[in-house]
Amino acid sequence: MKAFQRILTVFLVLTLNFFLPRLMPGDPLSYLDNESPGSDSPLLVTEATRQKLLAYYGLDRPLGEQYVDYLRGLARGDLGWSIYYNAPVTGVLLGRMRWTLLLMGASTAIYVALGVALGVISAWRRGSALDGGLLVGTLALGSAPSFFVAMLLLIVFAIRWRVFPIGGASTPALFHARGVARVADVAAHMALPVTALVLTHTWGVYLTTRNAMLGALGEDYARTAFAKGLRERAVVVRHVLPNALLPVVTEIALRLGATIMGAMFVEVVFAYPGMGAMIREACLARDYPLLQGAFLATMAFIMLFNLAADLLYSRLDPRLRAT
Amino acid sequence: MRRSIITYLKWFCALGAAGVLMSCAPAAPGGAPPGDPPAAAAQDPVVYTCPGEDWGYPTPFTRYSRGPGYIRMSFLFDTLTWKDEHGVIPWLATEWNMSDDGRTWTFTLRGDVRWHDGEPFTAHDVAFSYQYVHDHADQIFWSGDLARFERAEALDAQTVRIHLSEPVAGPHFNVFGSVPIIPQHVWEDIDDPNRYLAPEATTGTGPFTLAHYSKEEGVYVYEANPDFWGGRLKVDTLVFPNVPDVAAALRAGVIDEGSFWGNEVQAVREFEDDPSYRIAAGPSFWVLQLIFNPERAPFDRVDVRRAVAHAVDRQALVDQVTHGGAVVANLGIVAPETAWANPELPDYAHDPALARTLLADAGAAGAEVTLIQAGYDREAELIRADLEAAGLRVTVQSGDRTTVDGLLQEGNFDIAISGHGGIANPSTLENPTWPAPTSANPTYDALFTAQAGELDTDARRDLIWQLQAMAADDLPVLTLYHPLMWVVYRADAAVVPFYTSEGIAGGIPIELNKLMFIER
Repeated sequence: MKAFQRILTVFLVLTLNFFLPRLMPGDPLSYLDNESPGSDSPLLVTEATRQKLLAYYGLDRPLGEQYVDYLRGLARGDLGWSIYYNAPVTGVLLGRMRWTLLLMGASTAIYVALGVALGVISAWRRGSALDGGLLVGTLALGSAPSFFVAMLLLIVFAIRWRVFPIGGASTPALFHARGVARVADVAAHMALPVTALVLTHTWGVYLTTRNAMLGALGEDYARTAFAKGLRERAVVVRHVLPNALLPVVTEIALRLGATIMGAMFVEVVFAYPGMGAMIREACLARDYPLLQGAFLATMAFIMLFNLAADLLYSRLDPRLRAT
Repeated sequence: MRRSIITYLKWFCALGAAGVLMSCAPAAPGGAPPGDPPAAAAQDPVVYTCPGEDWGYPTPFTRYSRGPGYIRMSFLFDTLTWKDEHGVIPWLATEWNMSDDGRTWTFTLRGDVRWHDGEPFTAHDVAFSYQYVHDHADQIFWSGDLARFERAEALDAQTVRIHLSEPVAGPHFNVFGSVPIIPQHVWEDIDDPNRYLAPEATTGTGPFTLAHYSKEEGVYVYEANPDFWGGRLKVDTLVFPNVPDVAAALRAGVIDEGSFWGNEVQAVREFEDDPSYRIAAGPSFWVLQLIFNPERAPFDRVDVRRAVAHAVDRQALVDQVTHGGAVVANLGIVAPETAWANPELPDYAHDPALARTLLADAGAAGAEVTLIQAGYDREAELIRADLEAAGLRVTVQSGDRTTVDGLLQEGNFDIAISGHGGIANPSTLENPTWPAPTSANPTYDALFTAQAGELDTDARRDLIWQLQAMAADDLPVLTLYHPLMWVVYRADAAVVPFYTSEGIAGGIPIELNKLMFIER
């Protein structure tokens, strides 16, 4: 039953992926000509040229035929040809996704670790100045939009102090660098975007951990453990934390969606070559094949994360394993 | 069970710590140390850095259709003729002559040119290139007009003859100076050039070779072609990184030049008093215009269109919206910096009272109209206020550009704000309301066709001036302003950017003419 539901979901999403971009007014060809002086070509497309190009990209055929072709292509693993980028969709997507995954992976790892650690400390020292400071600090940072924090970091660390590179994912002139030099270069370019994401996303994990820990610390088993004379640290880390982790996992799974969104804004601020700028461009350009591919990839990720959260749940909660 | 959770957590923290370490790795000054430094160079290599983004794999066919895509390709590929700051110059062709009927052009080619892969360049490559580009023009956005191309033949290794079906006025302007010459030995078996992405596809005769391209990073690295036929290059490496803010990157010394236009004049002014930077200004060959739909009331009446022309304060748009970063537009659309612009057109001075009277006389007072636009909110607000003062009732509708273009192409609008480039080239007059197909005037169209085949420059200019006079009189569009462009560059940089006469190739307003990198 669950498998059938999943298949139906996938089919629905695939169909929406196809029709939604085509519901927007305009078509992929209008974006390919003039826009602004800085990006100008002396090209005014005539109606005859338009028709030829529509035919070349198969956009003149009935929608039903295009839909069948799209599904056929998907079955073969062929996502089509991006009209704007003039390259295979799979190549464009993989090229971009590497960077977004790197950015998201690093920042998620950091903010989850940081959020859980700070949440545990906060709950443990509830009511202390430390707790209050953490609460106010994380919330204040968390309520700032990620692109705003990103711009502050950019201005202070890249433009004013010049400690970190101003943007991009690597130094162009060092394209031949390999090994340690390459890693250091990439890491230096990641530092500010990752920091921006960590600063703006830690609060969620932190708050959830703190609340769950506070609840669990009040449970009988915790009191028993303390009463047995176990060391405070052992009680908190070994007894209470594992029981408080369930809502944290939920929070992380939900937060991944927000992180993708945040990453897109941060990418734009730092001209980081991720999915964010690409999806924006693909929307503006009505690049149907690329939009289809990008939405498909995003959907695959979200379903993968949901699956991972499900699996992790059953590891964390023995009660779920029986069912 | 408990232990396994602790193990997860430890693993997780370790990962987090690794992430922190990774992201805190300090940036070495000027970037990380190079992987393999060039062996014992006598001098440091000269690197010139310009900001940019992805404009496609720089072959003639996979570059993106707009100007910057052409520019990135032009560093690798040459054309028969080229342009400098004064006009057309010989390039791969040293001389040429046109037959009396204007249909046959014979070019003498340089004999000392080799492709990047070492193969000799010959007239066969030129004949092949013209035929190939012509045959595949359907599936690419081509910025030269090859519609009148008939065939090309190599007379000998250094002479090529190009036959046209009809004479084309000033063809070196938009054809011979923009069709890139590609190597026959690389391309002859390629059926779909649109999808040919092999490294050999960038083999040209140009001053640079492509060392690195990253589509997702929007990065290009070019290296000087040591065997370039046209002389020594002033730089060893030309780099296009993607920077988030051009002015800031320029200040931070990350790039050697930055390009600005229109209301970005404010960023340019900040560099004016700084001796470390120089500024050059140029035209954008771009026009913002108010397009009327003459198939819909009230704009079906020329009096109403003229009333609008008197109502809209175009100087106020220049001052308030572009902060002085533009000039009031030529009502004949063609760029005022070119010899093609007619300087004696009616000016429809800003006169709200006259506008009111004209509108009332035309019976259009109180008419409700919808103004559509994408990204010109401030212009739209000022124009709305001007039109309401004249007696129209205006609703502004905003969309994204593709939406507005779609409505224009369908002819489904009253009045629209829309802009386009390419106005250094008089062929822009073919459809004054582009992208809307709404202007139809047989007399005008006949005049346009006549000028396109007129080989005498003075006679042609006269016809083009007549076209502009008709456009300014009939007002299918009201042109608003032409933005200006600036390049701000480091005073100590190896090269000096300049603006090309009537734009690079068919009229690209960008300063990055490959001549600036060549010792002349």
